[in-house]
Amino acid sequence: MRNKIIQSILILCIEALFYGLFITFMFTERMWKVVALILGLIGLAIYLSRWEKAAQTLAMLFKGMKVVSVFGFVLIILSIPFVFKSSPYLIHICLMAGLYSILAIGLNFQLGSTNVVNFATAASYGIGAYTSALLAVHFQLSFWAGIWIAGAVASLFGFLLGFPCMKTKDYYLSLVTIAFGLIIYLLLNNLAWTGGPNGVPNIPAPSIGGHSFKSPLVFLGISLPFQSNYFYFVVLLVVGAIVVAHRLHHSRTGLTWNAIREDEIAARCQGIDVTWYKILAFGIDAFFGGVAGTVYAYYVGFISPENFHFVVSVVVVTMVILGGMDNVFGVIIGAILLTLLPEKFRAFEDFRLLIYGVIVLGVLMVRPQGLFPQKMRVYLKR
Amino acid sequence: MSHLLETIELTIHFGGLAAVNKVDFHIDEGEVIGLIGPNGSGKTTFFNLLTGIYRPTVGQILYRGENLTGLPAFKITKKGIARTFQNNRLFLNLSVLDNILIGMHSHQSSTWFDAIFRRSVAEQEIERGVEKSLSLLGQFSEELAENRYKRAADLSQADRRKVEICRALASDPKLLLLDEPSAGMTPEETEALMADIEKVRKTQPEIAIVIIEHDMTVIKGVAGRVSVFNYGSKITEGTYAQISSNEEVLEAYLGKEEGHA
Repeated sequence: MRNKIIQSILILCIEALFYGLFITFMFTERMWKVVALILGLIGLAIYLSRWEKAAQTLAMLFKGMKVVSVFGFVLIILSIPFVFKSSPYLIHICLMAGLYSILAIGLNFQLGSTNVVNFATAASYGIGAYTSALLAVHFQLSFWAGIWIAGAVASLFGFLLGFPCMKTKDYYLSLVTIAFGLIIYLLLNNLAWTGGPNGVPNIPAPSIGGHSFKSPLVFLGISLPFQSNYFYFVVLLVVGAIVVAHRLHHSRTGLTWNAIREDEIAARCQGIDVTWYKILAFGIDAFFGGVAGTVYAYYVGFISPENFHFVVSVVVVTMVILGGMDNVFGVIIGAILLTLLPEKFRAFEDFRLLIYGVIVLGVLMVRPQGLFPQKMRVYLKR
Repeated sequence: MSHLLETIELTIHFGGLAAVNKVDFHIDEGEVIGLIGPNGSGKTTFFNLLTGIYRPTVGQILYRGENLTGLPAFKITKKGIARTFQNNRLFLNLSVLDNILIGMHSHQSSTWFDAIFRRSVAEQEIERGVEKSLSLLGQFSEELAENRYKRAADLSQADRRKVEICRALASDPKLLLLDEPSAGMTPEETEALMADIEKVRKTQPEIAIVIIEHDMTVIKGVAGRVSVFNYGSKITEGTYAQISSNEEVLEAYLGKEEGHA
């Protein structure tokens, strides 16, 4: 009993420490502090990867007291808008990290599970955003219906993209997805009913039970900036995405995707319809993109084709590669890191793509399996 | 009476080369047939035709009276034809258990929808699969069943072959095609392999097996009938005793004697 209390306190302390570092990182304007924090984090990562025992002890500690560690984590997430109350921009960054997490979890079904390198994430993100935005502006459709319709429409386009892709493999498949992304971008830019380069303005904010998402969130007498509404909603979506990803991973579908990734010919000889399962991954990925796109469109209230440029796809691919192929936790860490870090290096904005390139090269050379590699599935015997 | 599997003038051309040339072949339930022939004689290509990896240029494949010619590989597996590969093709980054579970794909039915919205259906299926996999693995080697979470890439060559045979059996095949299962094995391991094949014959006597081999002790030990391939054609067929004294076979394997050199 005493042991458990000590362990719980230890867990909460470690979580609080990381939270503290995170808050410092978010608030600081000084470059040297940012660099010091990043170097410290890299050092810790190297230490844990070299001394497996330390990493294992840490993992055991958190796994043994799952309730406490999850409780601490939930508390941290819920408190973010309170901590950053004075600077809504920081809440905005956290919210974007959540949206990118959803995109990355979606892409992981393809890139991580099935080894289909899809560069069209921005396209499904854009299709989702435009679908719900246009439905809202022209037909006054509510956000709560629009988000699922947008997911379904993006999913449909994902399936459509899947078919030509199945004629190709590897790099050629990636080229087809890049072409698809460009086609969508150009169409959004040139069609009259999408608003062309002017985009879609004045997307109304969603509301729930009379509370508009554009108005501040008041809780226990504390008024939180309006971004908090979206932040909490995105957190809910991320949790949903994690649950879906977890269930798929531990089912026949996830196993089948992995089989295709490992050896396509052997997979076919196990009775696997490789074409269907690859297209399925396209469809599910696109659904996630469509949902994330909807939230984005409503949140910013104005979308234009520039928001769904090819670069977005590259960024999401980088997140999955950095975080770890087919490890949902890793993919989320990748998404968070690659959303937060560029914010602190705004001065180097022009070199953003270069930095992503360097990260991909570095990860592939030093740790090709990503920060958090895929773990073996473990089946509990009842 | 129709055979379990029958090929009629099965032929495939790669460019100008007939890799498999007008092969008539048949196998019945419970039979074990050895397939021998020099390297490049078309044995593996023949397997690739049977399993739908290649499409025959001419000829037919009949399976339990049904024409399989031109069906995609995954549909052929679903009908009950399973195989192993020459240089074994396990899913290397997955565990031993996952490899066997994937082998059951063809008679499982849960979909992505079940996985997300009807969790109990998907979970029960996996649970049943795990149970069956472990008993299958246990038949071959207790050690493998114990090391079920080991990455397939970390297994020895002999263990990989065992897992691959288990994976093929997991699909409940009626016809099992083994492509050089003893390649790269020590004599002891080869003996263990023969014992494993015997075990399969005993527990599931209705399974028909075609086995490609270079190791004649294996052929002699397990095959009731032997087919000999050379330059893509089946040159002869018979019991081991018959073919081992056949002039043509010796010629194919040892080369023609050029008079008195």
